[in-house]
Amino acid sequence: MAETHSIWTEKYRPIKFDEVVGQDEIVKRVKNLTNSLNIPHMLFAGAAGTGKSTLAIIVARELFKEYWKENYLELNASDARGIDVIRQEVKNFARTKSLGSVPFKIIFLDEADALTKEAQQALRRTMENYTSTCRFILSCNYSSKIIDPIQSRCVVFRFKLLERKDIDKVMKRISDNEKLTLSEKSIEAIYEGSEGDCRRAINLLQASASISPNITEEIVNILLSNAKPKDIKVVLDYALAGDFEKAREKLLEVMLKESISGTDVIKVIQKEIWNLNIDPELKVKLTEKTGEVEFRLVEGSDEFIQLEALLASFVLAGLGKKTGL
Amino acid sequence: MIPLFEKYRPRKFIEVKGQEIPVDKIKAFLSNFNKDLTKKKAILLYGPAGTGKTTLAIVAAQELGFELFELNASDLRNRKKLDEVLKPSTEQLSLFNKGKIILVDEVDGVTSTLYGGIAELIALIEKTKFPMIITCNDIWQTKFNLLRTKCEMVGMKEVPYNVTLDIIKEVCKKENKFITEDLIKEISAKARGDLRAALNDLQSVMNIQGMTLEEISIREKSQDIFNALKELFKIRTNQNTLEIYNNVDLELDQISLWVEENIPKEYRGEELAKAFDALSKADLFKGRIYKQQYWHFLVYQNFFLSAGISSAKGAKNLSPRFTKYNPPSRILKIWMANQRNAKKKAIAMKYAELTHTNKNRAMRDFNLIALMIDDNAIRLMQLEEPEIEFLKEKQQELKALASA
Repeated sequence: MAETHSIWTEKYRPIKFDEVVGQDEIVKRVKNLTNSLNIPHMLFAGAAGTGKSTLAIIVARELFKEYWKENYLELNASDARGIDVIRQEVKNFARTKSLGSVPFKIIFLDEADALTKEAQQALRRTMENYTSTCRFILSCNYSSKIIDPIQSRCVVFRFKLLERKDIDKVMKRISDNEKLTLSEKSIEAIYEGSEGDCRRAINLLQASASISPNITEEIVNILLSNAKPKDIKVVLDYALAGDFEKAREKLLEVMLKESISGTDVIKVIQKEIWNLNIDPELKVKLTEKTGEVEFRLVEGSDEFIQLEALLASFVLAGLGKKTGL
Repeated sequence: MIPLFEKYRPRKFIEVKGQEIPVDKIKAFLSNFNKDLTKKKAILLYGPAGTGKTTLAIVAAQELGFELFELNASDLRNRKKLDEVLKPSTEQLSLFNKGKIILVDEVDGVTSTLYGGIAELIALIEKTKFPMIITCNDIWQTKFNLLRTKCEMVGMKEVPYNVTLDIIKEVCKKENKFITEDLIKEISAKARGDLRAALNDLQSVMNIQGMTLEEISIREKSQDIFNALKELFKIRTNQNTLEIYNNVDLELDQISLWVEENIPKEYRGEELAKAFDALSKADLFKGRIYKQQYWHFLVYQNFFLSAGISSAKGAKNLSPRFTKYNPPSRILKIWMANQRNAKKKAIAMKYAELTHTNKNRAMRDFNLIALMIDDNAIRLMQLEEPEIEFLKEKQQELKALASA
């Protein structure tokens, strides 16, 4: 337990139910289930950095105390090499009885929504087979991507994005401990940049602190702009000016250089559209198209082809503006 | 350009490979000529094409110091010409007082009519003061019955495969061209003992700038894709549009990359938007094929990729001016970027493992994360030396940016 950790998200990760910020309702219910030693399979659904992994670890710590690591298996569905590997690891882990008085072990499967429907079916069977010795906690961003048979076997908890007051609490706790000076404005900037993701907020704080213990709004904003795909606006400008080839060349360059995904690019584009100097009707059309492209990316289409199609619509919008004048 | 088989024609007997017996026989024939009057005055080299018959005559003349008087057998068809050309050379001494060899090449085509060449040829053999070398592919035709009795017969065998192989390798080396072993073998086997054919084949391969067989087939393939693109972009959509890619020996996904690369070269504005819309739909169906393993969607992928793109220009032809289509560049760029990003990825992955987070998210926030990793974290993450180096550089760069 006395592990030293210099990454603050780990160093300040709550280890007791009471330390968890936000998600009050969920924490209360999970704490009750844990205290009664009557844990069902659980599905934690919610955005990144809202406390899903943290809560799963706390459940294990509370149940098994100092033996929690022996009785807790964390797997990542998107990293593990397929459902067969997951089944094998589950099998190995579930074969032995749990240590201590609790009659089952905990398996935390992160990003379960990365599994295909077929893999989820296989997972369902695995969950059934080991119910006597294991409890599963699945985490996902969207519960809609988890097949019904699994959902019906789990108690579903929906995690909310953190609010400003929650982030405030975390920032105060860390800055006191790390002896940082932190203004209201810089907290505001961190909160804005975090988008309700507590991990990102803490990362922002630590990255800023690596530059100076006196955390200013400016530093936070510089780091934020560094972490953001910058030149997307340039890409859109080329497209609107009708230079499609330049636009797509720049787009590929930005994506490759910063190794950002198509969905990250789409999010930036979607925000940029409203600020463009074009007819509002065109903005509506472009946003509709953007939404369609984002949907296709989530469904697994080729990122670049879909983004190129979107850029081609921007070229068209650029022309619409010219003919409108 | 000199044909390779001329350029590398042997100049000496020892350079003539795979024909040891004929070489010995021709040497003996020439050195005994006129010494023993019972001997024949002509030697008849016969055998398949490209085995070295003419070469042997040339080499013999050069090595033994004769002047070669060459006469193509087609000249023999014309009796008048024969009289003109051949008779003086048999009756006069060589200009430079050298001995002479009369070469009558390829007598296969000589006629057997009354005034035909064969009677004349035989008459020449009787008369000649100089040794004659006659070459022929198929000497067993009845018209040569008499000729055969007047000549010393020397059969040439097909050049063995291994000899052909060695010669081709040597020529490649001398020409300083790299050609794959497989291709050399293929050429040698295909030649079936015809060295001239082998060298001609080799030359045709080298003419395409030392390309390998693979490259040649790629070249042919790209030729097909160029034609398909031309039809796709320039010709008005018609009954045959759906079959546009039938002759292209590439997967549809590969073709899609070619189309993607070259749309902006042909289409502007609305056409461009429509074409990319069609391309994105083709991609959509491709995704569905993979996801559902339902291959009938291939029909739609092909439809959007052909008719969808073609019809984007409306019901018209484009100007047939030449457009230089480019091969797809995106995949290579992605690959190169992946190489560059390998260390970043490795660090992000180790960070993700340590902090219960997801790799993609770690990649996205890498510029924040890089600043947070101190020596303690480096140890926990078990970063390797090159990764640490990369990280430190990145940290310096980011700190400089932040303090600017």
